[in-house]
Amino acid sequence: MLRLAFLAPVVWLLCSCNRAPEKSLTIAVNAGVEGTALKTAAKEWGAAHGVKIEVVELPYANLFEKEQLDLSSRTGAYDVIMIDDPWFPRMADGLAALPHEPDADFIASCVAVTRAGGKTLALPYVGNSQLFFYRKDLFAKYKMDAPKTWDDVLAGAKKIGESEKMYGYVMRAAAGNAVVADFMPLLWAFGGDVLDASQKPVVDSPAAIDALRFMLQLGKYSPPGYAGFNADEVSAHLLQSTALMSINWPAWIAAMDDPAKSKVVDKIDFIPMPGERAPGVGELGTWLIAVPAASKHSADAFDFLFWSTDAPQQKQAALRGNPPTRRSVFQSPDLVGKFRAFPAQLAALESARPRPRTKLWNEIENTFGIYLSKANAGAMDPAAALHAASEEIAQILQRAR
Amino acid sequence: MNTRVTSEKPRHSWRRLPQGFWWTLPSIVVLIALSIYPMIYSVRLAFGDLGNFTRLISDRTFGIATVQTIVLTAVALAAEFVLGLALALLVDSLSRAKSIFRAGLLVPMLLPPVVAAVAWRLIYNPQFGVLNGTLRQLGVNTSALTWTNGHNSALLSVIVVDIWEWTPFLFLLLSAGLQAIPPDPIEAARIDGAGPWRLFRDVTLPLLKPTILLALLLRAMDLVRIFDQIFILTQGGPGTATETVSLYIYRTAFRFSNFGYAAAMSFVLLAATMLFSRGLMRVMRAR
Amino acid sequence: MKTALRYIAASIALLAALAPVYWLITISLKREVDQFAYPPQWIGFAATLEHYRDAFSNASFGTYFGNSVLLAALSTLAALAAGVPAAYGLSRFEWARSWDLKIGDWILSTRMLPPIVTIVPLFLMLRQAHLLNSLIGLAIVYTGFNLPFVVWMMRGFFDEVPREVEEAAMLDGETRGGALLRIVLPLVKPGLAATAVFCLVVAWNEFLFALILTQTDSAMTLPVGIASRVTQYEIKWGAMSAAGVVAMLPVLVFASAAQKYLVRGLSLGAVKG
Repeated sequence: MLRLAFLAPVVWLLCSCNRAPEKSLTIAVNAGVEGTALKTAAKEWGAAHGVKIEVVELPYANLFEKEQLDLSSRTGAYDVIMIDDPWFPRMADGLAALPHEPDADFIASCVAVTRAGGKTLALPYVGNSQLFFYRKDLFAKYKMDAPKTWDDVLAGAKKIGESEKMYGYVMRAAAGNAVVADFMPLLWAFGGDVLDASQKPVVDSPAAIDALRFMLQLGKYSPPGYAGFNADEVSAHLLQSTALMSINWPAWIAAMDDPAKSKVVDKIDFIPMPGERAPGVGELGTWLIAVPAASKHSADAFDFLFWSTDAPQQKQAALRGNPPTRRSVFQSPDLVGKFRAFPAQLAALESARPRPRTKLWNEIENTFGIYLSKANAGAMDPAAALHAASEEIAQILQRAR
Repeated sequence: MNTRVTSEKPRHSWRRLPQGFWWTLPSIVVLIALSIYPMIYSVRLAFGDLGNFTRLISDRTFGIATVQTIVLTAVALAAEFVLGLALALLVDSLSRAKSIFRAGLLVPMLLPPVVAAVAWRLIYNPQFGVLNGTLRQLGVNTSALTWTNGHNSALLSVIVVDIWEWTPFLFLLLSAGLQAIPPDPIEAARIDGAGPWRLFRDVTLPLLKPTILLALLLRAMDLVRIFDQIFILTQGGPGTATETVSLYIYRTAFRFSNFGYAAAMSFVLLAATMLFSRGLMRVMRAR
Repeated sequence: MKTALRYIAASIALLAALAPVYWLITISLKREVDQFAYPPQWIGFAATLEHYRDAFSNASFGTYFGNSVLLAALSTLAALAAGVPAAYGLSRFEWARSWDLKIGDWILSTRMLPPIVTIVPLFLMLRQAHLLNSLIGLAIVYTGFNLPFVVWMMRGFFDEVPREVEEAAMLDGETRGGALLRIVLPLVKPGLAATAVFCLVVAWNEFLFALILTQTDSAMTLPVGIASRVTQYEIKWGAMSAAGVVAMLPVLVFASAAQKYLVRGLSLGAVKG
């Protein structure tokens, strides 16, 4: 009995190790709508080309860690990886250069974040950029125009929110990626930034402090506990018609118009980011796909990369819920009829601004997010929080030198 | 099997041969390869750049993580010990159904920590968790009870999960210790007229001391390195409210790709663990 | 009266220990609309097995389960194969100037090494050996941290067996290895069982190493699979709870079967210090 117990796993392992090598691609994708589309496409491509496809679905934070470990230690475990654009500067060293340049149909802002050291190292797959979601029906009811500035937003939140007994605004202020993403459009609209031209932190500039103070004012009209909110909570408030406005991502547009999930079908409009002292600009959040330099199947991997980002495939992906990265797909008549937000999305995407292009963005965002979250939770004064954040970001940059 | 010894001839002088060493050799080799070598590697990585250590001193997050790890360890250890001892004495005093209680109480510590954490996420969720749901049923206003989502309540919520999960471990060891106590000294004290409290303080507790120290040592080692539950429950948030040293090391190494600094922090964690366990072991030996 | 109070107190403790587990099980059996219904439904909900089907046919939990089983078995066997002789050696042979104490202490103290300290070097070592993302690589790592426990527990059991038992057998012409295999090991069978269960549980539950050292579904274990569903954008509570229930069942069955020995094994170790 004991002998059998000992032998069984050994035999099983030997058998599984001796399997003949075959053509295969291992693809790491984000668990969620963006990854599901790529996964479906990969299965189709694999079946057509006789290549075995293994898809690893990982949640956002874990995806970065696994990919980065694979790239930095060149294990070659993955042949195609999905990359959120702020990760790109850190990962660029480990990526293989594209065999030829992408065509001109790709939107310029999306291609701009795929270049490093004079080479193009990735293709844009999902054309994400922030949009402003607001209740056009209620704004019309109170005879107010669509908000063009953050002051308009605040005025609307106050007036409509108070009369309708709903939250005037909802944002996500959980530490990390969430709060930083919701603060950046404010920061830019008030004329601030994270780093200046010489790569020094300026998050405690007067403009930045004004922006954070303004965020806290908006917070008064936000649901209690918003300092712990993530994307799902924000969207839930919009869907349940308990909040009036928010910054959000195109991935949620479909849900807003889906009667099974939403109480606000056709009542929300999607518009470009409000401005204030500077014109409004949303944050770019493009998902890229790339081939690690250590991949042992790079020829197949590049074939798949170009195939999955060509116009017909992007149309398919759009039907599966992913915003495209090609102008021709955004403007294709049969899609515009289906997706009423496409013109607004295209405009927002073309003007969208990437997060600072630095290898250290993860660390900076982590630090910045902690202090922003603390200020929103009332645990720290805005100016003090930003001074502390600036000091720590300076240390992060200093150490890397 | 071990070939070294099969050729040996049985004689009465075998006790003097240093063969014991050969028997332990495979284990020693495995441990050198899998524990000692990696440890040395880590230490070298940490000391490769002494800037790692100057950074430690000024790193606020590391300070917060250290303080929180100590608080978490101390509070959870104390609570688990008191509850574990009380439960061990309680169950020991029952005349019937002892084994049912014992088996049931051990369940939490046997679960994979990941699964336990998932169960508690279902419980703690402020909107649809069963905890707030039950409280609301009882007429409590739960809008301010955000548990793991709240800046002030998150660490305590994590500690509660650890207490739930690991009190059984203390209970198990202390029950075993109680069973191993010979009945004579207790009888003798009882005949001398000692009350239950005196009996416990003067007889049971001293005899239980080695078990208590061992249990505390093992539990403290695991608390200091706590990772799994927090990784699932809060990932260290909100803000830095549940950041611990292990989690911060993980993030530094795998999210910020700074292996040197991560190694320096591990070195501190290791040194603290070793000092602490040395101390406890010395106390144990000196019993 | 006092007795009744005792039973009430013990029952409350039992309830507190089991309620979270019970709640997890109900979530895995409820339809999605009932999962977070208010007021919470403890009993009398419409049960469904759809989440179990979902977890094991659509998602990769079947693969994870197989990996976990194999990994736990392999690493436990390896730890016993290396650790039992060491425990025997420490228990049976005279060591110069209490070296046995030192080696014994040293072996136990490697257990205190926080895993986060060794994980980066182990990652690099496994990559060098092409054992990254493989069950064998993980099994080797698990052997390393189960070994100290095997040595520590088995030593206590060997100390219980009088030396005269195998000395007699050896006078009858048995070799020492033979005496260990045929005479001593059968005597410490309960201890061996308890030790094996302990190793199995530890390997089955382990998370951090498995998280870092695996890269694709082919080597991922149940805890890693469950964890990667929890941090997702949208959490599939039903499938995750179902996987959690399946992950805890084998441990509970094993441990309750060996519970008697587990307590004894630990108390022996504890008493010997």
